[in-house]
Amino acid sequence: MIRKLLLSTMVVAGCWFAASAANAQGLQVPKTQPAGQELRISGVNGTAYVFGPATAFKAKANGELVITSDQLRAAGMYTVVSDGNSGTFFVVADKASNVAFLARPSRVATAKTGVISGTGFVLDKFNNLVMQPTPVKFSLAVPGTPAETRSETSKNGVAFVRMDSGKKSGAAQFVAAVDDTEVRRVVTQTAADPCNIRFKAEPSKDGIHVVTDPIKDCSGNAVPDGTIVTFTETDQKGRSTVDARIKKGFAEAELPNEGSANLSVASGVVIGNEIHWGGK
Amino acid sequence: MRKTLWYAMAIAMIVLATSWISRRVLAASTPSVQVQLSTENVQPREVEDATETAVLRDYKLAWANLASAMEQNRADLLDQSFVGFAKERFGQAIAEQKKDGLRRRYVDHGHKVEAVFYSYDGSALQLKDVAKVEVELLDGSKVVATQPVTISYMVLMTPAENSWKVRDLEAVPGF
Amino acid sequence: MYRIISIGILVLTAALVAVGTVHSSDMAPAKSPDGAVRALYEHAKGRDFKGAFKYVSSSSNTDEQAFVRDMGGRDGSLRTYSNLQNVDTRILHQDDNAAMVRATAEWSTAVGAFFDTRDLKVVNEDGQWKVEWPVEKQAKVPPQVIPVNYLRWDVITRGNDDDWGAQNVEAPRVRIVSMNAIEREGGTIVMGEIENEDTVPAFVAVNATLKGKTGNVIAEESSFDKISHTLLPKEISPFRIDFPKVKLSSVKSVSMQPNSMLVAASADPVIGVLNQHVDKDLRGKPVLKGELINESGQTVNIPHVLATYYDGSGKVVWVSDGYVDQALEPQTPTPFSVGLQQDIAKNVQNYRVTVNQYSLDRTQ
Repeated sequence: MIRKLLLSTMVVAGCWFAASAANAQGLQVPKTQPAGQELRISGVNGTAYVFGPATAFKAKANGELVITSDQLRAAGMYTVVSDGNSGTFFVVADKASNVAFLARPSRVATAKTGVISGTGFVLDKFNNLVMQPTPVKFSLAVPGTPAETRSETSKNGVAFVRMDSGKKSGAAQFVAAVDDTEVRRVVTQTAADPCNIRFKAEPSKDGIHVVTDPIKDCSGNAVPDGTIVTFTETDQKGRSTVDARIKKGFAEAELPNEGSANLSVASGVVIGNEIHWGGK
Repeated sequence: MRKTLWYAMAIAMIVLATSWISRRVLAASTPSVQVQLSTENVQPREVEDATETAVLRDYKLAWANLASAMEQNRADLLDQSFVGFAKERFGQAIAEQKKDGLRRRYVDHGHKVEAVFYSYDGSALQLKDVAKVEVELLDGSKVVATQPVTISYMVLMTPAENSWKVRDLEAVPGF
Repeated sequence: MYRIISIGILVLTAALVAVGTVHSSDMAPAKSPDGAVRALYEHAKGRDFKGAFKYVSSSSNTDEQAFVRDMGGRDGSLRTYSNLQNVDTRILHQDDNAAMVRATAEWSTAVGAFFDTRDLKVVNEDGQWKVEWPVEKQAKVPPQVIPVNYLRWDVITRGNDDDWGAQNVEAPRVRIVSMNAIEREGGTIVMGEIENEDTVPAFVAVNATLKGKTGNVIAEESSFDKISHTLLPKEISPFRIDFPKVKLSSVKSVSMQPNSMLVAASADPVIGVLNQHVDKDLRGKPVLKGELINESGQTVNIPHVLATYYDGSGKVVWVSDGYVDQALEPQTPTPFSVGLQQDIAKNVQNYRVTVNQYSLDRTQ
């Protein structure tokens, strides 16, 4: 009795395995297929199914199944099924022809180390990530200065670089290039903190007119207009402050003239010279 | 002999029924996606703990959403987790499936994920995923084929307002 | 029947006239100096400035229009959006002909209660007490053209469409340059200064999280209006965050989160702060006083003064703020004062005043 039972189980298992094996019997498909190229699969009759990352359709075939180039643009795994048979193949990216370029930041102070980063994702013309190592050329330059250039080879479709900001302020062109394709970003290099603020004072109709020399950072770049420069006057009546804005490179303000006073200037945390005002 | 045949048929029925039921149950209950994420070998910068937690959470959700979208043929279910190329491509696949009355059913057995690239500015994270995901291809309710269980994926995630979204999810022949 | 209706209408008319007459006889002559001050403010409370002016002595040399502008505000100032809630009067001294009355008026405004204390001279004019209302004569700025050619920053952002890789403009870099936490009146107060280190304007906010001994979050709060939210490049603003009912001894660490956002802004107007000095107000309490001068050509409707106080080592020991209920006319000095607690005042070695401004004609 037990023997018969075991025998029966083996028969059933055998049938099940045979059926599974038959089901797994593959169609004649390539292992890989370049993206965007037509594929013809022979030996396909009747209804066929194609499932891919960006496609899924049912088609009638008569000896040959044609999958058009448009249907094979997206890289990834495709499965073709026909009459209980199936086959799986991978569409791989075409040659590199594009780059998605992330450049950060859009605004940076001059003369800082490793503050600019660029990441290039190497893509083919169908925006598939190109896994083959590909050289990506990065260059950074402010007009009128030599470009800093770096070539990096992509790994898993990604190449990255880190660069220093230049000494000259201006709109730096940050470019990533793959073959003939260039993608351009702008990194605005701005003056760093004022280096040495100096101002002078002279009597005016309404009080004391204070005005700075042109305000520059330590690399000689003009600090942007609109930057706050605080003038302070301390006299016997108290303290007077004016938050002046840099305009055309320098800042100026009118302070009350109350006789003897100490005048000072600052921008952010940078302090400039002091003047003792002796009176009218 | 006749008795033996009856036993054999009964066992065959039980085996078949068990197999069918297990597939149905697995598919119907969309199991919570199991993901093991390793960030030890990531370049060029380390992944912050908070980012790792967020990526893990959002990557699991992405697979759950992809499974639902593909099975129900609802492209809107992709919105929460996918963006860019990935959303566009899966959306197109769903539109075509819908047109021909096809569906895909995902039975997720887990993912071994390794972060390989995290950009200096934190705006892109690349993952390698060895996924054990069985994908049943259906015409109506009939399973026409099953895709292999272990598939390698190259994944690109980018931060959105409050989450990380999958920007690219490509099956590759291997790493 | 007609006759009854006619009589009824007549009686009703007479009654209404009588009520009206009684109402106008509300302008009863004040029998005491503080009564006169209270009556004046009571009418102002009902925005009956005409009625209030009847309690103003002719010796004030003030016309009704000037009085109404002074009492009710003008040029979209904070006072124009205020309502008088209470007035508290106290006779400082009195004789048969004159008296000095201290009036502390409480105005309710959108930014909280606003207290205005004045010492008013009240004179006896033929048995009626009347108030000498000192309207400050504002110097009229001569007609002129003030060229305004300051910078203005506009921002174009990337938008919502997903053009991956395309650059966006980053949030400005801001930095907390100093921070101090103290306990006061049973609560914890976190204060300090934040600087916009960038070259573009920033909209800033500072959040603070208090953590307990086990690292648990005790409370979270933001600087709300105790900060100048729009900071131009290199501008520094004080901030203060109050945690009432949280004892400093229960706080192990404070986590600060400065947030910044790129914002369109104008470098105009420049508001100078003149003659700042710590003084005493009419009640003898320390205040930081001075004058604001609007150097632009447009009226600044609601000025908001923020004061930072430092001790001898340069540490921020207090931050206070106050709104000025007058608008800042171009080129015209306008007084301000900000309250300062006695115990803090004695440690103050230095201070800095910054001014926020809200102007109806400007969007930024």
